Amino acid sequence: MDITFWGVRGSYPVPGRGTVRYGGQTSCVEVRTASGASVILDAGTGLRALGQKLARDSGATLGRHHILLSHVHWDHIQGLPFFEPMYITGNTVEVYALLTAADELQQVIGGITRHEFFPVPLEAVPAEINFHEVDPGLPMTIEDAQILPFALNHPFGSVGYRIDADGTSVAYVSDTAPFNQVLHKQHFLPGLETLTDEDRRVLGDMRAALVKSLHGCDTVIYDTHFLPEEYARFPHYGHSTPDQALDIVAGNDVRRLILYHHAPSHTDDQMDEIAARYKEQGAAVGVDVITACEGMVLSVGPRGTS
Amino acid sequence: MKVRFWGVRGSFAMCGKEFLRYGGNTSSVELVTEGGSRLLIDLGTGATEYAKSLMSSEFGQGLGRLPVLLTHTHLDHIQGLPFFTPFFIKGNQFRILGADPAGSSLKGTLQNQLAPHYSPLNGLENLAAGVSIETFLPGSELAIDEFEITTAAVPHGTMWTTGFRIKADDKVVTVLTDVEYPAPHRPTREAFALAAGADMLIHDAMHDDAAYAMARGWGHSPVSAGVHLAGAAGVGKLALFHHSPDATDAAIDRLVEAAQSRTAIPVMGAAEGAYHEV
Repeated sequence: MDITFWGVRGSYPVPGRGTVRYGGQTSCVEVRTASGASVILDAGTGLRALGQKLARDSGATLGRHHILLSHVHWDHIQGLPFFEPMYITGNTVEVYALLTAADELQQVIGGITRHEFFPVPLEAVPAEINFHEVDPGLPMTIEDAQILPFALNHPFGSVGYRIDADGTSVAYVSDTAPFNQVLHKQHFLPGLETLTDEDRRVLGDMRAALVKSLHGCDTVIYDTHFLPEEYARFPHYGHSTPDQALDIVAGNDVRRLILYHHAPSHTDDQMDEIAARYKEQGAAVGVDVITACEGMVLSVGPRGTS
Repeated sequence: MKVRFWGVRGSFAMCGKEFLRYGGNTSSVELVTEGGSRLLIDLGTGATEYAKSLMSSEFGQGLGRLPVLLTHTHLDHIQGLPFFTPFFIKGNQFRILGADPAGSSLKGTLQNQLAPHYSPLNGLENLAAGVSIETFLPGSELAIDEFEITTAAVPHGTMWTTGFRIKADDKVVTVLTDVEYPAPHRPTREAFALAAGADMLIHDAMHDDAAYAMARGWGHSPVSAGVHLAGAAGVGKLALFHHSPDATDAAIDRLVEAAQSRTAIPVMGAAEGAYHEV
């Protein structure tokens, strides 16, 4: 199984000298199994370059593309209208997402191509697009990959995915806040709110289900947007720190943690420091910590061989 | 009057070393008068960089005031809005002025951009600063601080966008982006009027002339459209703007060189960074 990082940034794309090495495009990861089946995780701005590559590589061959969305905040979907395979008649794009509003997925996701925002409505693209509602805890099969969705703690809801194929596994945990200070619901949070006992119970269950879903997973990609000092100022933003990610994966038979969804303010030099600092912290608890950069390809063999 | 380009890219923000000299951020242009009045045009990702620079001024203390003009609400012209830091500081006052999109409203559209499923801000009302959304009919004249502004609708594919002629300090800057005329050498009467005698014309140059053959009807101009209008309207300087996301620094250098070879009017490729005296 190969994992390719097409966009590793959180919030919005960040061009410029400060992001040349780690990359400035937003969330998009491609997982390809040994059989060639491909699953795309999130449709941030990184999706544009992936779509160009897929269209180039496929030549005249038509295909079916699977895109699993964690949630529909702009930084996770704004690459979709720029996904080249959508503009080729005969292609099919299967979009999977959590239904959090009363609206149909098609309306919510199609809403980003309303004429006010984009010239070509999603309903008018030549490819066939199908929407699938994801149910946390309910496994799915996509080609030869087994997919387990699980709930995350993020404004308006978010979902992570564990993908098992080729005798190994990768999990995508983005976006999420930790599970102790805030329970994200469907309203605006200007700051922290007092947790009720019920909130604590829900958070405890969500954390337990996440830990269980990640148990024994080879590689875990995790929203580590903030450094601890930044998190302390914005605990209500719905993102985690590398320390909080390590807290979830350490002792849970996870071999490797990938730091992901970098804050737009973090320059390459800061990312180097973050990478070095957490490489060391991870080693201390038996986890190999790697910091995602755009263009990085990780080959994941069966457990114990890669 | 000075002009600074904070974002010059069309459609899609581009990152990486091939896009460093001209810049990869989407549309955002700042105008500043000698008297210190400021005006921002469009809120593409370039606006997030402008926002950072504002935070070290009175905007950091909640004492800033800024008018913002929108050419239209396609995402590459508004995607910086949710990340414009001074919007989160109580006390700052912003006016966002634009035309209502066809069959829709400006306020409803920006509200929809911040709708709960798309943004944790859950709506304009959660911006701590004062942000008023004001609409005008294209064709109307606006007076904002020291700026006298003429507006006009210009064609953009199946829709239209707003072009601006902005006068201050006895200088005129014309902004015509996301525009496609009936033919590259046939600017609409409204576009011509906005550009006539301008000191600087900032013009959509999304396509090189060869690529335009494939992109006709998509709503953007080939470089030759701006070159032609600059000559016909007798402008002082032409800034090629809204570069294609696929145009690397080297490709834009070639476009500028080719454009310059066809006109005596000075041509520049709009690039992020410096202030330009008009």
